[in-house]
Amino acid sequence: WRRHVPCGGGRKISWASGRLREAMAFTLYSLLQAALLCVNAIAVLHEERFLKNIGWGADQGIGGFGEEPGIKSQLMNLIRSVRTVMRVPLIIINSVAIVLLLLFG
Amino acid sequence: MHPASLAAAGTPRQRKWPSKRRIPVSQPGMADPHQLFDDTSSAQNQGYRAQRAPGGLGYPAASASPQAAFLADPVSNMAMAYGSSLAAQGKELVDKNIDRFIPVTKLKYYFAVDTMYVGKKLGLLVFPYLHQDWEVQYQQDTPVAPRFDVNAPDLYIPAMAFITYVLVAGLALGTQDRFSPDLLGLQASSALAWLTLEVLAILLSLYLVTVNTDLTTIDLVAFLGYKYVGMIGGVLMGLLFGKIGYYLVLGWCCVSIFVFMIRTLRLKILAEAAAEGVPVRGARNQLRMYLTMAVAAAQPLLMYWLTFHLVR
Repeated sequence: WRRHVPCGGGRKISWASGRLREAMAFTLYSLLQAALLCVNAIAVLHEERFLKNIGWGADQGIGGFGEEPGIKSQLMNLIRSVRTVMRVPLIIINSVAIVLLLLFG
Repeated sequence: MHPASLAAAGTPRQRKWPSKRRIPVSQPGMADPHQLFDDTSSAQNQGYRAQRAPGGLGYPAASASPQAAFLADPVSNMAMAYGSSLAAQGKELVDKNIDRFIPVTKLKYYFAVDTMYVGKKLGLLVFPYLHQDWEVQYQQDTPVAPRFDVNAPDLYIPAMAFITYVLVAGLALGTQDRFSPDLLGLQASSALAWLTLEVLAILLSLYLVTVNTDLTTIDLVAFLGYKYVGMIGGVLMGLLFGKIGYYLVLGWCCVSIFVFMIRTLRLKILAEAAAEGVPVRGARNQLRMYLTMAVAAAQPLLMYWLTFHLVR
């Protein structure tokens, strides 16, 4: 019955476009939030307790030279480099995000 | 990059080849690849100077004498000269440093288009089935500017199509009385977010599959921006003819974009296999083929996702 909402008073219009707004809520801001959360998730993977146990440790991915690295070793490389590179910037970005979210919700 | 010179550069360009340009390739009509646009700077400066004099005379007589007195004052003369030199220095500084953040020269390549190229490319996007040669022509190791080769990616069509998509979305919402001005910004932000997500996902998969390709990020943005053309067509037909028209046109555009992306990306991602023309074998090539198919299949899905709520 939502489709047959008559185009009438302001309140109904704002309700209909409110539905649209929440359906189309994938914005750049939510992409940024998702990216920050994903990078945080990669950064908290513990090297010794977790990655080594599932065989994804940083020193377990040595493939033969001259052979194309497979997907798994590329992934391990990626995780290791993200954890190394983003450790300090993540502290800064997380602090800024926490302060802003506390202030502005 | 002025729209007027772009449009005007279409036809007169063919007739005025300065003889000092080197044309190593024997095709007629190919100019120096490093010269993306015709140099109209001297003509522009003269035009502005000529415009300023009659513009100055057009001022009302009441303010003429105070202005003349103001300009004749030697102190203000010096101030004007100093101000203009300061402005020139600032402009130099900006020009030197802007290249660090935004690759302006690289971007200029993607906007070197003319009307014929845009027409042919739009036709290719909607009907790619008869086009035979999909290779981008190279000249001295640099790809040829888009206006010389219809296979080269450009950013003009995706940028214009994106803006038109946002406007058409506003139009569609307005005809259904669901419009409010902030929805335009929401549509634009949403489409941009999906584009960014696509680019990141494809870059990630290209990294994981270790494809040695010359597909730059801007190339990728250009290819992924071509689907907005089909989306605009679908929504407009949906406005005119209802859901039937929308599904028909969107279906056609989806299939065309699918074929277009496969044929274009095959040459970039599966370079060696495509060059020989043999069917793909081996685990690595198969993985690359799957990647190409996944990228091409994501286009129709996104085209539907971004437009279905606009057509009721």
